[in-house]
Amino acid sequence: MAAQTRPWNETLKPEGIKAYKQFVAERDKQVASFLEFDPLRAQGTSNERAAVSTKSKTLEGLPFGVKDNIAVKNFHLTCGSKILESLVSPYNATAIQKLLDAGAVPVGKTNMDEFGMGSSTDNSAYKTTNNPHDLTRVSGGSSGGSAAAVAAGLVPFALGSDTGGSIRQPASFCGVYGLKPTYGAVSRYGLVAYASSLEVVGALAKDITILENVYETIKGLDGRDQTSTDPNDFPLLKKEVKTVGVLADRSGLDGMQAKSLEISIEALKKAGFAIKEVSLPLLDYAVPAYYTIASAEASANLARFNGIRYGNRPIYSENPDDLVRQARDQGFGDEVKLRILLGTFVLRSGFQDQYYLRAQKIRTAIRNQFDRAFEDIDLLLLPVFPIPAFKHGDLGMTAFQQKLADKYTTAANLTGLPGLSLPGPVLESVPVGMQFMAPAMHEHLLFQVARALQSSLPSADPAAYPAVYS
Amino acid sequence: MSTYKSFIGLEIHIQLNTKSKVFCSCKTSFGDEANTNVCPVCMGYPGTLPALNQEAIRKGYAVAKALHCNLAERCHFERKNYFYPDLPKNYQISQFAAPLGTEGWIEIDYQNQRKRIRIKECHLEEDAGKMIHAGDMSLLDYNRTGTPLLEIVTEPDLEFGDEAEILLHELRRLVRYLGVCDGNMEEGSMRCDANVSINLAGQGLGRKVEVKNLNSSRFVRKAIVHELERQAQILDKGAIVLQETRLWNENRDQTETMRSKESAHDYRYFTEPDLPPFSPDKEFLASLDKILTELPLDRKDRMSKAYGLSAAQADFIAEERPFADYFEQTVKLGADATNVAAWLCGDVQKVVNRENVAVYESKLSANRFASLIKLLDKGTISGKIAKQVLDLVFDEDKDPEVLVKEKGLEQLTDRKTIRGLVDQVLANNSKAVAQIREGDQKPLGFLAGQVLKESGGKADPRIVQEILTEVFSLK
Repeated sequence: MAAQTRPWNETLKPEGIKAYKQFVAERDKQVASFLEFDPLRAQGTSNERAAVSTKSKTLEGLPFGVKDNIAVKNFHLTCGSKILESLVSPYNATAIQKLLDAGAVPVGKTNMDEFGMGSSTDNSAYKTTNNPHDLTRVSGGSSGGSAAAVAAGLVPFALGSDTGGSIRQPASFCGVYGLKPTYGAVSRYGLVAYASSLEVVGALAKDITILENVYETIKGLDGRDQTSTDPNDFPLLKKEVKTVGVLADRSGLDGMQAKSLEISIEALKKAGFAIKEVSLPLLDYAVPAYYTIASAEASANLARFNGIRYGNRPIYSENPDDLVRQARDQGFGDEVKLRILLGTFVLRSGFQDQYYLRAQKIRTAIRNQFDRAFEDIDLLLLPVFPIPAFKHGDLGMTAFQQKLADKYTTAANLTGLPGLSLPGPVLESVPVGMQFMAPAMHEHLLFQVARALQSSLPSADPAAYPAVYS
Repeated sequence: MSTYKSFIGLEIHIQLNTKSKVFCSCKTSFGDEANTNVCPVCMGYPGTLPALNQEAIRKGYAVAKALHCNLAERCHFERKNYFYPDLPKNYQISQFAAPLGTEGWIEIDYQNQRKRIRIKECHLEEDAGKMIHAGDMSLLDYNRTGTPLLEIVTEPDLEFGDEAEILLHELRRLVRYLGVCDGNMEEGSMRCDANVSINLAGQGLGRKVEVKNLNSSRFVRKAIVHELERQAQILDKGAIVLQETRLWNENRDQTETMRSKESAHDYRYFTEPDLPPFSPDKEFLASLDKILTELPLDRKDRMSKAYGLSAAQADFIAEERPFADYFEQTVKLGADATNVAAWLCGDVQKVVNRENVAVYESKLSANRFASLIKLLDKGTISGKIAKQVLDLVFDEDKDPEVLVKEKGLEQLTDRKTIRGLVDQVLANNSKAVAQIREGDQKPLGFLAGQVLKESGGKADPRIVQEILTEVFSLK
């Protein structure tokens, strides 16, 4: 199989482009991962001067997918929402510019839950993305389009964003690596904000080396994002992984999920890591704190979408107020409206102590608990989602169940710590991944453990979509 | 009215004159074609982030320091949420819980008394765009969006409309001295809302009414006077003042209801997650001193003492920093301060008004002005000739000494020559001479005038007077 694959960096060359376009078009008919695909549009948008100095051979000529909430010049920027259907980005996100300068090429925008709000990508205003391992199941979300595109072999890597698990959960559903970097390690400039204090731009890939190269390329201080930091300025407390923590309480997990976790623990032991059980009782408060903060920030972040300067505008309106009301009524989906209302509610003056500020206190307490845990362990192994990729529509989980299920992923966002979800064993029809969390700016530990487990827990190609490029 | 005590606080917005906007790199110039000084950041495009402008925060801290505020060791920004089409993000980045300056004061001279008005806080925020209604359309210009604004909030220490007008004048002078704002209320680079309440003396603050749309310091005064009167009438009737926001209607000279307290906004303030807190370091704090300077009122006091100026003169000269600099430079060049002040406030002012130029930018450089006054002090020219020379400086753009020499305008002090002129005048006016000899001194002035006229205005009037006295042995 491997002998027959073609190299990724031929896809965009004149002799390879036609075949590549055809290949993606055919496969994506079933997977439906891309909202927009045009591999030649980004040509000539790299900063030539910067390109000379930063060009990394490893990413040169590689096509990549971009979640549709990250700005790529001349591509749409819908965020999976009707309200931004007509918006074409006039600029590049910092992460995109850095990848362009390194020679990689954004080839299209991937599907997502509207504004990142969801865990299935079913909540997109445009289409439903299917899990390449089992088309009847969801690809996860909100970066489901990126995860599915990578899993189906359409691109070697894709960018996503992680506000409460939106990279790690779809990565684990689709059997690929998904990195949520430390908050601030990668510039958020060009990432359409959902919950500014929680989210970060990250990447998904089948190959851990490509993922690491992408992270090394996009990380770093950016003057356009004053919450960004230079990871190199951060004290390096741990050079390598010795001890991996696992939750003492592993109840409440689906049988397959529990099984995946036990397989991972065995693999870690075999690879020579010490295992230590830890207790993180505050994890039970992560979901309510997360949704309070995320909704509060979303209510302000999404206020700018009013149909006046860009995006869809009602054909007729009585006055400016009416215009805004109509644009938002028609443009936003129900889940988005729900979270805006919830966020507006928790921020009312006189009620902040009860909701928003209380959530911030819980957030600080959780962060402290994780800091203490990392005094004894180097990495923490956690499930990603309590159940494997679920079925579309009514067969799956309710919106409320999906929110409760964010328990294991939201901790990384509340604490700002990095997390990497790894391809897990394929149980029944779909892979069941797990994740590791590391101390702040210690992504290298995540890559180290991923390499150590690479042979025992490889990223498996979906049976229906064997690799054509590698 | 006299039974009530009034409480007036002002909220003053000043546009800081930074090169670029407060959170992006767009130009802050005004009067350009609509929507040309904009970028994805200030237009609130999805995915963009604010980046704090160092010049804006520095100028903000400098004003707070000049207003004797406690400077925040750590300040941060909040989002103030409200929907309005001219506000691209539908929230304004402002400061709420931790403004950059708190608990300061400013002094004003009110009715010959110095009064201290407490400053509650100074906070930095971004300006909105402009909405223009044209027929059945509403047009938006976002050029102003993101211009840095410093909001200065006073405690309710003012009592009268004219006091508020004076405070605004003093603040305008202060920000102009610091060079951080032109203080022009008509053009909106300085804006003011007034919080007005009255109550029976000794009963504390009354119910607050906020008055907006005050586009000049005159309107601030008139609106406050009107509002105090309106509230007094309500209390006189035993009724209660409605807590609300009112707008000044300049055509009707009255305030009118804008919105009641019930419909007031809940701004749902929360910490701006896109901007880290700002903590000034030593270097930053030291850099404030480059902006800070002797403040107008201090300078007025000092100049008044140092140069023996009248209060009116000192006020006039201290009004503008370059004007005061010009005055002090002229004095430093050796000209008599009293004369410099008198000329500056009098004849020089007349000429520059006519020429429509600021004196410190005019042809009358401090050097020229000093030499003119020195020529006068030495008696080389008379006051009358000095006025001529002053006009000539503006007409011919030459130094006073050169003009005096070229035109032969030196004062005639040679007694012999003057004596000759006197004799000539006496010979031609025998009637007047006879009159004086008979003991009537009235024609003396006439004769002196004739002598000066004969000399072409150059004869030293003191010497002419002395010779005439001698001739008639009047001592």
